Amino acid sequence: MRTKEKQNKTRLFFLGVLVAIMLIVTACAPQPAPAPAEEPAGLAEEQPAAEAPVAEAPSEETEETEETPVEEVVEEPGFMVERFRAAIIGDESTLNPFTYVTGEPGWNVLMMQYDSLFTMNIVGEPVPWLVTDWSLSEDGLSYTLSLRDDVSWNDGTPFTAHDVKFTFDYLTLNAVGRFARDIRGFESAEVVDDYQVVINLVNPNPGYVRLAFADVPIIPQHIWEGVNDPQNHQFEDVTNVGTGPYMLMEYAPDQFYRFVANENYFAGMPTVGELVLIKFADDAGAQAAFRTNEVDMIFRVIPPEQIDLLSMVDGVSIAQGPLFGTQMLMMNYDVEPFNLVEVRQAVAYALDREDMIDTVYLGAATAGSNGWIHPDSPFYNSQIVQEYNPERAVELLESVGIVDSDGGGVREYEGAELSFELITPSGNALRLRLAELIKEMLAQVGIQVNVASVEQTTWEDMVWPEFDITFGRSYELSMWGWSAPVQADVFRAPELVHSDPLIGPLNLSGANSEDIDRIANEMASSQDPEYRTEKIKELQQAIADEMPFVILMYPDGNYAYWSSVYDNLAFIAGQGVVNKLSFLPESARP
Amino acid sequence: MSTLTSVQVEKTRHEDKPVRRRFNPSTFAGWMGGVIIVGLILVAIFAKQLSPYDPAERVGRPFQPPSAEHLLGTNDIGQDILSELIYGSRVSLTIGIVASLVTMGIGTTVGLLAGYFPKRLGKVLMRIVDLVLIVPFLPLLILLAAYLGRSLFNTVMIIGVLSWAGTARVIRSHVLTIVQQDYVLASRTIGAGDLHIITMHILPQVLLLAVGQFVQATSGAILLEASLSFLGLGDPLQKSWGTVLYWAQVRGVFLTPAWRWWVLPAGLLISLAALGFALLGFSLEQVINPRLRNSH
Amino acid sequence: MRIGLKGNRLLEYLLVFIVAVTLNFFLPRLMPGNPLALLAGVDVGLMTPEERAEVIIEAGLDQPLWKQYFKYIGNLLRGDFGYSYRQKMPIIDMIMDRLPWTLLITGLSLIVSSILGVVLGAIAAWYRAKAIDISLLWTMILLGSMPSFWLGMLLISVVSVENRLLPSFGAITPAMSLTGWEKTKDILEHAVLPVTTLSILSVPGIFLTMRYTMLGVLGEDFIRTARAKGLSEKVVLFRHVVRNSLAPVVTILAIRLGYAFGGTVVTETVFSYPGLGRLIYESVSNRDYPVLQAAFLVITIAVLVSNILADLMYPILDPRART
Repeated sequence: MRTKEKQNKTRLFFLGVLVAIMLIVTACAPQPAPAPAEEPAGLAEEQPAAEAPVAEAPSEETEETEETPVEEVVEEPGFMVERFRAAIIGDESTLNPFTYVTGEPGWNVLMMQYDSLFTMNIVGEPVPWLVTDWSLSEDGLSYTLSLRDDVSWNDGTPFTAHDVKFTFDYLTLNAVGRFARDIRGFESAEVVDDYQVVINLVNPNPGYVRLAFADVPIIPQHIWEGVNDPQNHQFEDVTNVGTGPYMLMEYAPDQFYRFVANENYFAGMPTVGELVLIKFADDAGAQAAFRTNEVDMIFRVIPPEQIDLLSMVDGVSIAQGPLFGTQMLMMNYDVEPFNLVEVRQAVAYALDREDMIDTVYLGAATAGSNGWIHPDSPFYNSQIVQEYNPERAVELLESVGIVDSDGGGVREYEGAELSFELITPSGNALRLRLAELIKEMLAQVGIQVNVASVEQTTWEDMVWPEFDITFGRSYELSMWGWSAPVQADVFRAPELVHSDPLIGPLNLSGANSEDIDRIANEMASSQDPEYRTEKIKELQQAIADEMPFVILMYPDGNYAYWSSVYDNLAFIAGQGVVNKLSFLPESARP
Repeated sequence: MSTLTSVQVEKTRHEDKPVRRRFNPSTFAGWMGGVIIVGLILVAIFAKQLSPYDPAERVGRPFQPPSAEHLLGTNDIGQDILSELIYGSRVSLTIGIVASLVTMGIGTTVGLLAGYFPKRLGKVLMRIVDLVLIVPFLPLLILLAAYLGRSLFNTVMIIGVLSWAGTARVIRSHVLTIVQQDYVLASRTIGAGDLHIITMHILPQVLLLAVGQFVQATSGAILLEASLSFLGLGDPLQKSWGTVLYWAQVRGVFLTPAWRWWVLPAGLLISLAALGFALLGFSLEQVINPRLRNSH
Repeated sequence: MRIGLKGNRLLEYLLVFIVAVTLNFFLPRLMPGNPLALLAGVDVGLMTPEERAEVIIEAGLDQPLWKQYFKYIGNLLRGDFGYSYRQKMPIIDMIMDRLPWTLLITGLSLIVSSILGVVLGAIAAWYRAKAIDISLLWTMILLGSMPSFWLGMLLISVVSVENRLLPSFGAITPAMSLTGWEKTKDILEHAVLPVTTLSILSVPGIFLTMRYTMLGVLGEDFIRTARAKGLSEKVVLFRHVVRNSLAPVVTILAIRLGYAFGGTVVTETVFSYPGLGRLIYESVSNRDYPVLQAAFLVITIAVLVSNILADLMYPILDPRART
């Protein structure tokens, strides 16, 4: 009796488990696959039916595209390539101007859907885009912009001056995010007629074209005027309406974005029919998929060690060019003896930048200029020299009485050993390696460095508490780096070094040099481009003399892509290849 | 959650008598494990003599394939990988052993107290054990590692502090049976103090069990250290087997032919160490179990 | 005979649950740094103090901790997990997007590993101390000693990169609009490597438990009785031994099901698999408090539920546990 009962129960239980497991498996299989969003009828027809099954077999696909030479396709009124798949790392949320996440490639991808008044050309200079003609008033306060009259939003509504005014007003009202900062100093906008608008500023700002007009996406008034909480607005067909060459059709969180070309784009028909951005958790996953041609490109600079390896793969090319990001060593003026210019100079002389570039970047970087500005910039002061000279470093240290009196291999300053903690964020592998090399090189001149890898936010908090330099700083030495936008506008250099926190909000080492302050003030006092150029060159020399930080290098931009699939990318100096020009025919590029 | 305890008690209670006299696989496993562990510890001790180079020194070009000078090639900044692995055994083994010592220390103490004072204190302690077991382990581990920062000490403490609960359970269930034995009851009636009973009568009996738990925990701790380092939550500047793999991961090595001489050996060493301790633990269990049964 | 939970047992679980919810709330907030950089983007340093303050207020981070806590509890009760700082979308949507994928690979690997573990464990115990038992035992101990991420890396290197046999990342080929069998096939192909990795890792535990338990059962009186009655070995094996050995195995499976929700962090990271584990890892590194809280909570509930299930099942399965 007992066994019988037990038997039944056991049987019942197993049935239950089986059913449960089956339920789990069947319940989740169909669910996560997102249903394709509805497409406008005209576009759906363009969808190539034969394309779908091919993608899974990379070798076949490569052969196929090789069979049809690119030049031939250009002649035809179609796309060069029907579909292009790119890898991005992480999710960029719903990719409208209020929800995208990262500056790169989030902003770059966002601008596939939207246009700004100006755009960057290949050499990284802003040129008119939605604008045809423009002028600046004598007092430097009013920009009069004439707009193109052949542009329409991709829902068919015409684009007018009202949209421009609306964008500036709306961003002023919803004052959060990069674009609100971009337009800081905006006073008012006046619509002259449908295709002319005047933008008034509070103060003259020579950088405004680059900072605001070439960065801010113009958003459609008829869509956004009803939206009060733009940050919490989800992806719908309507909110992602722009004038740009691509339209976001499908968003699968953590999986992919699917863009479809805007065939009526004012600058010309896009070269790629469908742009699919596939999301990865990390670089390694993206690279694995790239190698197997499961993606055609990585929308991110590839690490140096991959350059040679990937360029050896048949069908793969590397797009290379200058980027304006930096790797630097910060020295805290509050920590003695870094308040002495001789010591800061000595540190710079002791560092072998070429060795660092060869070892860590395998050559894929440009050596840092002591004057901050990239040698490829037209504003670069070529008089500035930097050299690796450990003997000179030793001389400088000894000139201020820093000697190794006890013969222990480490110098002393006022009785205390010259031993410092160099902090670096643990998540940045290349920076960790650079820090290790710095430790090794400074040891050669008798400065002891202990590298500490700390959590990203802890590191930020030590170097830049509350992101406000008036809170001081609590590091000795730190690895640091500014992103490209800080360098792209050379006239922002005073922000890094001016002793007044209002003018120098990014002065993280606590530099206070009368020379620097004076030159920066003179530069700010004038609107005359020639005078300003002269001053920025002077400022570079002053920075090199003061040495508030050591610019180690400017990593180059290297992007890997399957040139056998698509070979029409445009490298914008300082911005890289992730831009709309890469997906427009050469004839349409400014 | 009490089912886990019963499973374990069950497991030990019904353990069969090992076949003696003939070739005994578990004894053999124990010896194997012992040989592996002793071998690795010797490598760690004599790392300086065994390594061809100083692992912190850049001795060649970065990313070199194996050659006569560098048997396992060089890493991303030109350090000798073989030397890194040899020196890495120091950190990896130390972390594994120290972390499981912490595990054993906390686990045995809590288990003893919970088993000896099963009423109020024991209940509270076992609720804590339940809690530690229920809070998702790996996410919590990641969180703590990120919060406390990356250092050897933190890695050891995090692993130790989060993995004692299982040991506490096993020890407690054993103590519960010991407390019921005549001589413990007898010494209680004579008026022996709790401390005396715990140290003189109970501790000796659970010690061997604790050692078995320690050896098994070491196997797990070595794997955990590797996982934490791999996720970038260890100290990437300390040479351990896990960090060798971390650098391989962040510099994309497993997508290149270099995985053969960089990724493979490091992982094999981790597996070997974990295997050594697992084998020894397995073998110890065979020895310990009959005693458990006798004391029942 | 009693099945079902005793009242105080349920109370204990409730207590654990409350403590876990509280921990879930406070632990993420103990992280260093402030989430401002995430809320405002990379250029946070260029904002004015007023702009920063506005960001903080909007996110409710200016409130005292206890106020944030009660608001959190209140929202939980209403099933509102809030918005992700980073993704700026409802967290419940994010979790529901990822949960099915985690369930798929953990479910499949549980099936694979329990079948393998139980069958192999039974074989090993039945042929105890024979060559097959010993070789199985060694294989399992060996498998259990491998780091999971390393295994995943090797699988990607060998299977995907060098031989291109299977996709190396993700859960489905993106934006292919596949349907029916094609789609199922695609999903399964993507699941093979993660499921293999997860299965290899969990087989040893199940195998060892099954083997130990069955060895115990084999030594018991009723088995000897059954044999003495002259029943065939087959009947003894399946009707008596295996069935009586399953209880602990099933208990372990039930508990594992709960852990499976969170235990895939490393595997999902290696394979870029869009599951809950990867979400947790990303949320930790991005200090996305609300997402982390919600993910923790989902896992905690899963673990609790599977524990309750295990408690309920055990007496049903194992008559010896009844009193």
